[in-house]
Amino acid sequence: MDDYQTCPKCKTTKYRNPAMVLMVNTCGHALCESCVELLFAKGSGACPECKCPLRRNNFRVQLFEDPAVDKEVDIRKRILKEFNKRQEDFPTLREYNDYLEEVETIIFNLVFDIDPTNTNKMIDNYKKENKDITQKNRNRQSQEEMELEELLEAEKAQQSEKANLYVNAELEEKKQKHKAREKLIDELMFSDADAKSIVASHVQATAALAKEQPKAAAQPGVVKSSKFSSGVQIGLRGQHTNSFLPIPKQEDLPLYRYTAPVFDYDGPPPPPIEKLGKLNYFANIRAANITERAGGYTEAMSCCRALQEALGGLFYSPQLMHKTAVLATNSSTQDTDDMETT
Amino acid sequence: MFATSTQRHFWMFKDETDVSNARLSANIKYISSRGRHMTVAERETHFLNVVEEKSLIMSYEYQLRDFCRKFHPPMPRYVIGTALHYLKRFYVNNSVMDYPPKEILVTCVYLACKVEEFNVSMDQFVGNLKGDREKAATIILNNELLLMQQLDYQLTVHNPFRPLEGLMIDMKTRFPTFSDPERLRPGIDEFLEQVFYTDAILIYSPSQISLAAIIHSASTSKENVDEYITKILFSEDQKRLLNLIEAVKKIRVMVRNVQLPHRDTIKALEKKLALCCNPDNNSESPAFKKRMKQSFEEEESFEDGQYPSASSDQVRNMLMGLSEMGKI
Repeated sequence: MDDYQTCPKCKTTKYRNPAMVLMVNTCGHALCESCVELLFAKGSGACPECKCPLRRNNFRVQLFEDPAVDKEVDIRKRILKEFNKRQEDFPTLREYNDYLEEVETIIFNLVFDIDPTNTNKMIDNYKKENKDITQKNRNRQSQEEMELEELLEAEKAQQSEKANLYVNAELEEKKQKHKAREKLIDELMFSDADAKSIVASHVQATAALAKEQPKAAAQPGVVKSSKFSSGVQIGLRGQHTNSFLPIPKQEDLPLYRYTAPVFDYDGPPPPPIEKLGKLNYFANIRAANITERAGGYTEAMSCCRALQEALGGLFYSPQLMHKTAVLATNSSTQDTDDMETT
Repeated sequence: MFATSTQRHFWMFKDETDVSNARLSANIKYISSRGRHMTVAERETHFLNVVEEKSLIMSYEYQLRDFCRKFHPPMPRYVIGTALHYLKRFYVNNSVMDYPPKEILVTCVYLACKVEEFNVSMDQFVGNLKGDREKAATIILNNELLLMQQLDYQLTVHNPFRPLEGLMIDMKTRFPTFSDPERLRPGIDEFLEQVFYTDAILIYSPSQISLAAIIHSASTSKENVDEYITKILFSEDQKRLLNLIEAVKKIRVMVRNVQLPHRDTIKALEKKLALCCNPDNNSESPAFKKRMKQSFEEEESFEDGQYPSASSDQVRNMLMGLSEMGKI
């Protein structure tokens, strides 16, 4: 896709050459490669937009479309090398969050050039106070990185071994087939037996061989030893064990018991849906046509519903609604000539 | 089902006096808030009293039914039943003078269509109305939330139509000595139409009402279904039978006493209503229009990021403004 960004200096060249690459520097402005060369050929080292003094090696290939983002990413990397504390270093979550907020403020200030003197002072202060913790964290990080690398290597080794196995197995097969064929031809040429019987015995032999092959292929490949003979694990993997605590067992809660729901119809009980057919209710109801039945509808459903609604509520007796009771007593305190006698 | 429904728990009254008490308190509340400066005699002439309100509601119920009958596409009767329920419930707790019944009427029908899954788009709906359609659509959308709020957001209504079908099926299956219950249908349909003009739907359960319809229709055609009721339905609970007989009797009495108020009385009442109604809720009045205009102007200032604290009226205005934009 054509990059829609223009080099602010030469403008035209960018459009014409999609292979052109934008370089971004510490002040956050972008320049295409040829312009960078041009700029430093002249020997001057100033950004064309903001006139910050620049060095040639400060130019990095732009990864993001917006050069401001690149600038921020750079600053972030730089700062986080210094500010590399983790959650375990803080006694409470609140303190960790405060620390993170401080880091973000510093980064924000640097990106938008707010109050650079103060910010730099903050950074220096922090560096002085936390030198040793920073160092320890750095070591820890490098350890982790090494472990990750080891894991990756082990995986790669496994995969390549598997691939090798397959290749070897295939080669073996081919060789065997070749041998068998040659043997057949030799026998046909030099032996005195009947040709047909030779061929038959040969076919049997190949069938027997084919059965043996899958058994051989099922053998596992060479396993790289991960432990010394005394039981200590090789490599750094032993320190950060991936073993998990056993899942805590649930106390014995009472088992779930199904209780059938009870419906209060407030009326004579309707016949249950299963008995409707037997009681010949369906003679009096429209039969379900084929499309309705395909969807899962049966006459029993609508019949049952109609009967439930018909018989439900027959025992109902009117009750006083509490709302009106309250209002009726209130109204007696107001205009009495409008009042109807209760 | 009905026994566990909100209808049974929150919208059932003890008897007719209970219902009238509720209407009375709504009426009194409105009058006392609006007519503080008047004397008692003045109030009586100026405002509608409960009886007049009731007649007005009945006439509007007839209007609702007419509207639904002419509705295109043809509206099934349970939608009409639900709409009538909503109208009744709304005006049990609110006075007719407070909210114009014409607007509430259309909103009830619209809401009932939605709830009973009778799909009608707004355009189709207002196509059935006469007059300014845009305005009607705005009115309906503005009042919809108000209606739901006054119904306490309890929108499921159990109508007597399904229990009626159930009883018919049951009769045909378990009471074969009674030949062809289908011939009772016209009488039943008429009874059910009339019952919606009474307060029976707020007092008795829908299955009791449908049973009353069957009994009524049977007695008009000189038939007797008592055997069915005593032997088959209530074979186990003889004491509840008395309760039911009582209920059925009362329902039939209520239906017998239904009387459509005279046209002239209605016209006079409507004139009186126009004088004493609440102008804030009446979309015709100039005060309302002024408020709407104000709310639009206020809305412009929302863009600055300054949100004034809204009272419930203002919130409603905001919603009106929003519904203007959201209306299809």
